[in-house]
Amino acid sequence: MGDESVPYFLGEGTTKTYQIPISHLDYKFIEKCTDVKHLEKILRVLRSGEEGCYPELTLVCEKRIEHLDPRSRALRRDKPPATASDFTAGEWQAINSELMSWLTEMNEDDRKSQLLRTDTPNERQDNLPPIRCSSSCLPTNPNKKLQNKQRSKKNIPRDYSEWDKFDVEKECSKIDEDCEESNSKARFFSRPSLPVIEKRIDTTGMTKRDKIIIATREKEKGNEAFACGDYVEAVTYYTRSISVIPTAAVYNNKAQAEIKLQDWDNALEDCEKVLDMEPGNIKALMRRATVHSHLQNYQTAIEDLNKVLSVEPENTMAKKRLLEIEEKLKSLKPVSEPQGKGKKILIQEIEDSESGEGRGENTEECERRGGDKSSGAAAERAMGSAHGKSRGGKAQRRDRHKDSAPSRLKKGAPEKESEKHLSDHEGEVNGYLRSDEKSESAEVEISEPHREGSQSAGAGSSTALPPTAAKLKSEGNEFFKSGQFGEAVLKYSEAIEYVTSLGEQSPDDLSILYSNRAACYLKEGNCSDCIQDCNRALELQPFSLKPLLRRAMANESMERYGLAYIDYKTVLQIDSSIQAANDSANRITKTLIDQDGPSWREKLPPVPVVPVAAQLHRWDGGSLTSENKPSTIDINREEQVQMNCEEAAEKFKRLKNEGNDFVKLGEYEEAANKYSECMKLNTEECTVYTNRALCYLKLYKYEEAKRDCDHVLQREDSNIKAFYRRALAYKGLQNYQASADDFSKVLLIDPNVLEAQKELEEVTQLLHFDGSAGAGRQQTHGKKITIQEVTECDDQEERQFATSEDAETGRVPAEEAVPKAVPRRSSEKLRVSEPPNAYDFGQMINALNASKDKAACAHLLTATDPKTLPVLLSNKLEGETLLIFIQSLEHYIAGKDPGLAYQLLFYLSKAKRFKVVLALLSKNEKEEVQQLFHLLSKSWSDQYSLEDLESLKKVYEL
Amino acid sequence: MSAALGAERPQVVSHVQQALSYTVFDCKWVPRSARLLCLGSAARGTGVLQLYELSGARLRLLREIEKPKPIKCGTFGATSLQQRYLATGDFDGNLNIWNLEAPEIPVYSVKGHKEIINSIDGVGGLGIGEGAPEIVTGSRDGTVKVWDPRQNEIPVANMESVQGESKRDCWTVAFGNAYNLEERVVCAGYDNGDIKLFDLKTMSLRWETNIKNGVCSVEFDRKDINMNKLVATSLEGKFHVFDMRTQHPTKGFAYVSEKAQKSTIWQVRHLPQNRDIFMTSGGSGSLHLWKYEYPAQRSKKDSEGCEMGVAGSLSLLQNVTLSTQPISSLDWSPDKTGLCVCGAYDQTVRVLIVTKLNKI
Repeated sequence: MGDESVPYFLGEGTTKTYQIPISHLDYKFIEKCTDVKHLEKILRVLRSGEEGCYPELTLVCEKRIEHLDPRSRALRRDKPPATASDFTAGEWQAINSELMSWLTEMNEDDRKSQLLRTDTPNERQDNLPPIRCSSSCLPTNPNKKLQNKQRSKKNIPRDYSEWDKFDVEKECSKIDEDCEESNSKARFFSRPSLPVIEKRIDTTGMTKRDKIIIATREKEKGNEAFACGDYVEAVTYYTRSISVIPTAAVYNNKAQAEIKLQDWDNALEDCEKVLDMEPGNIKALMRRATVHSHLQNYQTAIEDLNKVLSVEPENTMAKKRLLEIEEKLKSLKPVSEPQGKGKKILIQEIEDSESGEGRGENTEECERRGGDKSSGAAAERAMGSAHGKSRGGKAQRRDRHKDSAPSRLKKGAPEKESEKHLSDHEGEVNGYLRSDEKSESAEVEISEPHREGSQSAGAGSSTALPPTAAKLKSEGNEFFKSGQFGEAVLKYSEAIEYVTSLGEQSPDDLSILYSNRAACYLKEGNCSDCIQDCNRALELQPFSLKPLLRRAMANESMERYGLAYIDYKTVLQIDSSIQAANDSANRITKTLIDQDGPSWREKLPPVPVVPVAAQLHRWDGGSLTSENKPSTIDINREEQVQMNCEEAAEKFKRLKNEGNDFVKLGEYEEAANKYSECMKLNTEECTVYTNRALCYLKLYKYEEAKRDCDHVLQREDSNIKAFYRRALAYKGLQNYQASADDFSKVLLIDPNVLEAQKELEEVTQLLHFDGSAGAGRQQTHGKKITIQEVTECDDQEERQFATSEDAETGRVPAEEAVPKAVPRRSSEKLRVSEPPNAYDFGQMINALNASKDKAACAHLLTATDPKTLPVLLSNKLEGETLLIFIQSLEHYIAGKDPGLAYQLLFYLSKAKRFKVVLALLSKNEKEEVQQLFHLLSKSWSDQYSLEDLESLKKVYEL
Repeated sequence: MSAALGAERPQVVSHVQQALSYTVFDCKWVPRSARLLCLGSAARGTGVLQLYELSGARLRLLREIEKPKPIKCGTFGATSLQQRYLATGDFDGNLNIWNLEAPEIPVYSVKGHKEIINSIDGVGGLGIGEGAPEIVTGSRDGTVKVWDPRQNEIPVANMESVQGESKRDCWTVAFGNAYNLEERVVCAGYDNGDIKLFDLKTMSLRWETNIKNGVCSVEFDRKDINMNKLVATSLEGKFHVFDMRTQHPTKGFAYVSEKAQKSTIWQVRHLPQNRDIFMTSGGSGSLHLWKYEYPAQRSKKDSEGCEMGVAGSLSLLQNVTLSTQPISSLDWSPDKTGLCVCGAYDQTVRVLIVTKLNKI
């Protein structure tokens, strides 16, 4: 209706108030307008009704403002107080019963105190401070330096009329020097630097109840101070509370504040007091562990954490801390110590903790451990989240992700810098570019995945390596993959030692080992060792790509730009398609020009000329280039192989480019087809998979997108694009937990990806909604489900890692690996018979909702026993779910089996949240329900009578 | 989703409504009980003091006391938890302290001001605030006086404008900073928008500012800590939250201001159990529940190296409209989180329950 009337007013000029052009009172204008102030004015005009009444337009305007500025004042409306109808029956009951119990408590208390009243005279009077020394006046006008001081008259009552006769001048002259001095000083803050607060409260003459009140009050004051970061003040108030009534909770809070102040001794003392009172107090144990680890009593810290884990085996916080401390403990041990033993213990312990949690999320943790040299800072940070332990595992997981990024940043500045450099390279080598636009266009990816996995795959094929060394190497690869670079270095070193001691010269393998170790050093930021290893690798295998790249990166991070430039240039001679090398070379050129001026080239050593043989590996298509190919193969054969490769690679490249072009045109379907063809030619190429995943995302085929990302992540376990896209896919599948995890991983790899940050926030919010909606209704149940969810997605990860190991170490052909990677919740899965539990059911529903697949939904519903529907739905019934149910009932089931349709409808109405969801249905959706009933009333079944149907209709509020 | 979001926010439930036969000016919970007091003025020009007990979903009248002069304001702030004596200020400028068990004669009485006592506050009692129990009164006669119930007749401190200056109407007073035996401040708000902070330790004016519109209500977030925050509400619907931790020599205290509604904000009261949550009551019969969020750094150095405060931000947790008439008084129960009483000029007193305050 608004639509029609607006053109009528067009040209009439402006509104009466605010003089807004009438044409602005339009859906289109409002949708586009970004000026909140202007929109608020429009809203006011619309609400006032002076230009006519357009409820829909007003609504649109409100929504737009809310979208732009959720805190806008224009959105505040007068609301009546809440009534029983705003709460669920349970909540309302809780509110009332809480009040009633308080009232009874108060009444009883009154009765008691009435009995006591006789024997509680004014005993506190004696302890009161004296009456303020004098009756004194001070003027409210500071500009006149007048002080009305009335001393000695204390005992002489003066009525008010006397004050009127009061001679200011005369009184002023009486003021003694002292007073004036103190006053003038006081005029501008004579505040002591630190407020002196009594540490003890005098409790003489207080009843027990008084004491409880006072102690609680002081504790609250402490909590408030803690909340805004005044830890010193918080400790003081906690001390005061303790001086009245010592309780474990307050000691515990005090310990936490003292930890924040790094007052370890007192914190330890307080933790111990808590544990004296409550020996099993988890918080206190956690805090004592923190203190011990800072006092470097690692063993005792570990004991405490183990105690926590024995009570709460699922406590992720404790597990993480345990790992950190163990890592620290290990790093303290001298390197010369027999490695075998130390390592063994460590591995066992990791296994222990893994079996304790039963999930394999240690990759990420290990990665942190690997890079985290100042876990002290991290630990302290972590304590903050331990504070909110009761929020449950889910929250903690999130917290930890949040923690991880800053803790990395806390490292020393130089380290940080080098890390940044490294991550830059890493990102680029993996074909990831930061800006959104670029990462969306499929072009930027390069054809050389820079990962150890591929190398190890190559190594597996080389027969020259003795079994022991091969084993050590694969172990090293494992460690590398899981981010334990220090461990990996040790393994590689052992392998190198072993190979050299054998005396058999197998330069290829040795070169690879050196190159791998160099990668570890690079990751650790140990650039000089990295360069050394690269040199060795290059001596053995000149012009192999990876050592050159790594040396270049190491040189660059050590600011030896000249050398880095040479190396990058050499790399580009070998393979000109390596984007990262190109970019880095360009960047370094700039730096060198800045450094050395226009004649910078003259100062550089000559770039070595790469022999043609080495250049031939250019279009090898995959990761198994230069160093993996045994050079012992005679040149003829190599050339032949290479010719084939080149042809295939050419075709591959063409197809991929075509795919990319389609992406640019927005024809994702076509693009996906092209990419699929690419995959037939070369399954190793990860970029094609990530690109196809992008297409699938655009086509809302989340399952498929996820599958592609999974595939990539098997190959490159830190492909940031794949993580990002998988996260989006999970989001589409409404698996917010998994989505949040993936986004966090993206941020872990590169904290600067703004999109991921944004998405993570959004997903966390969604997750929170899910969680809180559940929690609001049925606390325990909701929680349980989330935990299940967590386990689920971890399981999946674990499996992934398992498959990826297979693929890489055991040389399983990639084609075979793909079906393995098919996730459990594929669409085929939806057609299995009866869903076993509410969780699986929920997952299927989510998938259905995402795909809007009514047929599959009908399948699912037919397979489900109607009676179990309320149980299966649990409290997860949403409008969307209801709608898809109704639709599939209408289109697929009602015609075939009206009896079943009726049964399903009947039991659906018994589900939790049904009423709420029903109330939220829109008009159109209601109509669909109506249609369904209409359909049912026309068909006939012995399962129901028309009366039944009528009564059910009432339940559905029709 | 919006339902889930709404469920997380605090809700204000109107638990009991009690119509009164007089104009209520102030209402107060009796500490450590489920009883509340309503003070006001009867139609025939006398003062009324009613004691109600909350029992279930109704208010039971326990006692009604009539006094010669209309009673404007009252406080329990300076009494002990055992005694629970009520101090009141009336239209005639009298400060009286009553034993509610025997309310016939006041236990303390003084003709403190020439005109109506607009506002009263107490400290040092109920375990709140270190130091001597003291009562401060602010009056239309322009003076702010501090009283010790142990000293008859004369105030222990008197703050008034210098002779010859025009006298402002003092609308509101509040104690604060009483974290040890010596420190104590009084904050007073005047009809011209002046806010003055008197330091009772040094007997000096520590700070003053003007917020342009009459100051209806001032309150520190807690009286018994090193002063932290001060909220001042004004006649035209704005209120200011001052961060009182850091005072700049020239700029004073940093503040954030917010407009709650178009009408006067009559009263502000901080939640006794959480100092960062407070409620404002408005002239249009509305209540707004706010939360103050601290900035990352509460102070910074200015160009000259002086410390200056940084104000935080405010978020509206909930707002409800209870009446068409102004809500003139508001009091949180010190014993039960979220229980609240408010009196409005529609001659009604309401007991409210605010839910989920401990989850914020």
